[in-house]
Amino acid sequence: MIALAIVLSIVVLLLSVLVAGLLRSHADILKALHDLGAGVGEPAGSDTHDQSSARASGNRGPVSVPLTMGPPLPGERSSASAPTIAGVTPSGDALAVAPSGSDQLTLLAFLSSGCASCAGFWKAFHRPDELGLPPHTRLVVVTKGPEMEIPGEVSAQAPPGLPVVMSTEAWGDYEVPGSPFFVLVDGNSGRRIGEGVANQFSQVAELVRRAQVDAREFAEGSRSQPHAEGLDGPERELANDRELTAAGILPGDPSLYPSSLADVCPPDGGDPRPKRTPIEMAN
Amino acid sequence: MPGGFEGRIFMRSSTGDEAPFPVAQFATFALPEEVGDFGGGAVTLMGADDIFTTLFEYGPESLGTRLFARQGIPRSLSPDNFLPYVLRRGLGGQSGTQWFFTEAGRPFTLYVVLGSHARRSSLVPRVNGLLSNLAISPSPQPSLPSGARWN
Repeated sequence: MIALAIVLSIVVLLLSVLVAGLLRSHADILKALHDLGAGVGEPAGSDTHDQSSARASGNRGPVSVPLTMGPPLPGERSSASAPTIAGVTPSGDALAVAPSGSDQLTLLAFLSSGCASCAGFWKAFHRPDELGLPPHTRLVVVTKGPEMEIPGEVSAQAPPGLPVVMSTEAWGDYEVPGSPFFVLVDGNSGRRIGEGVANQFSQVAELVRRAQVDAREFAEGSRSQPHAEGLDGPERELANDRELTAAGILPGDPSLYPSSLADVCPPDGGDPRPKRTPIEMAN
Repeated sequence: MPGGFEGRIFMRSSTGDEAPFPVAQFATFALPEEVGDFGGGAVTLMGADDIFTTLFEYGPESLGTRLFARQGIPRSLSPDNFLPYVLRRGLGGQSGTQWFFTEAGRPFTLYVVLGSHARRSSLVPRVNGLLSNLAISPSPQPSLPSGARWN
């Protein structure tokens, strides 16, 4: 009986030591997180005040830990911009291709020399007459740079006369997720008007044809709508005011100030605009 | 590269004892695969608002000659520098200018073609934008033959 009590006491003692060690470890982790700025239960709005007061008192306050995912895009670029592609040709010459600033479409084919699904496209490019691309469409192949592709292999696959730019930077600029990948750029607007993947080039050619028709209709339809050309600021507001005035919606119109969702989308599908009283225009 | 310009720098393969030198070409339109050093095959594709520029390097034997006495690439051209008859190939409406100079110890000629002489006032600033961005480095030293040693 005495032996059993002694064993139990030893077991309880060991467990107490184990629990104390775990608590100590947990406290160390919390302290480390606090030092990194990940405060527990601290409202975000008080960070600035806490940091400034900590700086003033000489204490090391919580510091923010920035989380970055890849290089940020330059300010002047957006997800639709079409920057110049600069790189080298498989033979080592410097080459820069500007898809924007012309009156034609440019189809950028981002390919690799080794990917199995790219092989069909390389083969198709050897028969340019059978590609089925609309007139005034320029085809440019973009592979990764010589540090990631073997120029000799690219050269062996590329047909003569087809511009091939080897540029890893371009893959980043155009946010290419993998190969094969196609980007269609409208030279007039200097913007990407289509992008995606395909299994066969005939699918790409069909998408280019559709995008060309859409771009033409959009350009014709927006000729009288300056906001479609990317206006901003006061010019955009002015264009919007013109559109609203043309539609009979004048300043102070109740439809501009919906008070509930029913004002915008009435349940009976009727005219969402409340009845208006005529507004006398001052002379 | 200013917006709307594209370009290439290449060397033609040597023929016989001829030593090839780099040629740089810049254009506001899609350059075809085969273009002559001074725009043959490209200037015929130009629209009225287009620009073609070539920077052609000569051999070291041209260094120090009177033709290449000017030091530095012209960075700021004026509309008056462009004349319809300064063209390798006289095409109606176009105009051109040509400059010989030495920069970084290398002799060059700069040849610029405008798609429309009448629109030179609006095109020349774009040419100057291109020229201001060009940088010419000294010619790389020829590498020593393998096995050569300093003693």
